[in-house]
Amino acid sequence: MTEKRIYTKPTIIRHTVGVMNKYGRPPATVPMNRLVGYEVKELAAKYGSPLFVLNVQELREKYRDMTRAFKTRYPKAHIAYSYKTNYMKAVCSILHQEGAWAEVVSGFEYDIAKNLNVDGTKIIFNGPYKTRDELIRAFTEGSMVNIDNYDEMQLIEDIAEEMDKVLEVGIRVNMDLNNPPWHKFGFNMEAGHAFEAVKRAQASGKLKVVGLHIHAGTYIDDVSIYSKAAQGLVDFYTYIKAQLGVNLKYWDMGGGYASHNTLNWAWAPAEQTCPTYDQYAETICPILMNGPFSANNAPKLFIEPGRALVDEPISLITSVAAQKRLPSGARGIVLDAGMNILSSVQWYSYNFQTGQDSGFMVEDTVIYGGLCMNIDVLRQSASVPPVRRGDLLVIPHVGAYNISQSWQFIYLRPAVIAIDGGEIHVIKKAETREYVQEFEDVPDKFK
Amino acid sequence: MSGIFNSEVTISDSGFLFDHGTGLTYSLNETGQFIFTKMKEEVHANKMLELIMEEFDINEETARKDIDDFYRQLKEAGLID
Ligand SMILES: Cc1ncc(COP(=O)(O)O)c(C=O)c1O
Repeated sequence: MTEKRIYTKPTIIRHTVGVMNKYGRPPATVPMNRLVGYEVKELAAKYGSPLFVLNVQELREKYRDMTRAFKTRYPKAHIAYSYKTNYMKAVCSILHQEGAWAEVVSGFEYDIAKNLNVDGTKIIFNGPYKTRDELIRAFTEGSMVNIDNYDEMQLIEDIAEEMDKVLEVGIRVNMDLNNPPWHKFGFNMEAGHAFEAVKRAQASGKLKVVGLHIHAGTYIDDVSIYSKAAQGLVDFYTYIKAQLGVNLKYWDMGGGYASHNTLNWAWAPAEQTCPTYDQYAETICPILMNGPFSANNAPKLFIEPGRALVDEPISLITSVAAQKRLPSGARGIVLDAGMNILSSVQWYSYNFQTGQDSGFMVEDTVIYGGLCMNIDVLRQSASVPPVRRGDLLVIPHVGAYNISQSWQFIYLRPAVIAIDGGEIHVIKKAETREYVQEFEDVPDKFK
Repeated sequence: MSGIFNSEVTISDSGFLFDHGTGLTYSLNETGQFIFTKMKEEVHANKMLELIMEEFDINEETARKDIDDFYRQLKEAGLID
């Protein structure tokens, strides 16, 4: 008997004119059969699908590279990792091993940091709502607290009174940098509120302003926003130093640095538009170095990156549950992962790469999540080669926000594994029904 | 006219297909090309499954589903009725 030919699913694809779409040329679908040295198929078979996979070495390298970019230009620069982006214990712990401080925005996040043995003096406590008890704990443990509003300032003055000491604080400011401007947080500079806030704190006799904080937005790929923010801080510091005798111990440029993911409304892929760490640092540091101080008493510079560190080192393995033809003629595929574990599809047009060898004839495909909800669409149109039920797809760069913002809905949430030096560690087990219902109860009379 | 097709179609060895009726062009992969050539030879749908399984390394269930799907794609493209 003669050898049979290797089979691939029969396909016919119409050639379209004008190969450029709004994202530029559609990327060739490169199969991603291996992740961090392991067969994608093997990982899914052993740990289930969907499955989040962290490349530990890549995370470490990103931290080191970003630190290098800033420290070489501003020696007293330091990263305070924005916990909300992904506060899985193992992720935070790896970054702390590398030397990161913690940036937290709630008592819960503060507690995660303390539980990982982060020293209070290495925690920056931000956010518009901090409770009295949380503030007392933060001041007692020596954390940096950036004040968001006057109610909070009043509360902290009361705490200072109780503790019978002058408390050092930072002031969060905002500026008209982007459109729409981020006015929700802190005190506005242009309207004079920021100056009033510093003045009031200094005059209270209970507070001493030692920090300025700005966080201008998220996924800011236009570096000119950072140069305006940095110049704004320098001008403001110069002014409050002269007027109110303020001496800063730190200034904090916040987060917002972009990662290699293409925004839904972007005209070019992120690979072409996303600034490098060096470009961000080169924009920010020289401006701040021109601040009103001599080189040896420069304030510490904090940056609070989130997505720029953790987005890229994590991928999601997912499998095809079904394929269909839509009335429009377009192909649709349904995956076993939905927007409940990929909330960032609101912002990002993720790449979907096959996890096994497949034909090269890609076709525009609507990618549906597996939730029984009409809105669960992961991508309106992506170039995907022929796949069938059970085939694996890999979505790279999903580490920021998706896990911390995931919701348990309809399905149990999947496991997260970390691959490091050829070893696989389960850093979060897949949920079970028992886990999800642990805190629930049915009183006897309802039975 | 080649019977089953709505207008004249020509296909190259590399799987490049030209529809003379509409002027549209398509690409077929190896398996698609095989089916298409057999269709031009007026092989009937029920015979197609047998031929595919003789030629390719594939089980019956998958092949049947895939052939159905392929015919559906041809219909949607307006190449057959
Ligand atoms: C105060 C603060 N710092 C840092 C971040 C991290 O932002 P990103 O992930 O865009 O770097 C955030 C996110 O919203 C934030 O609110």
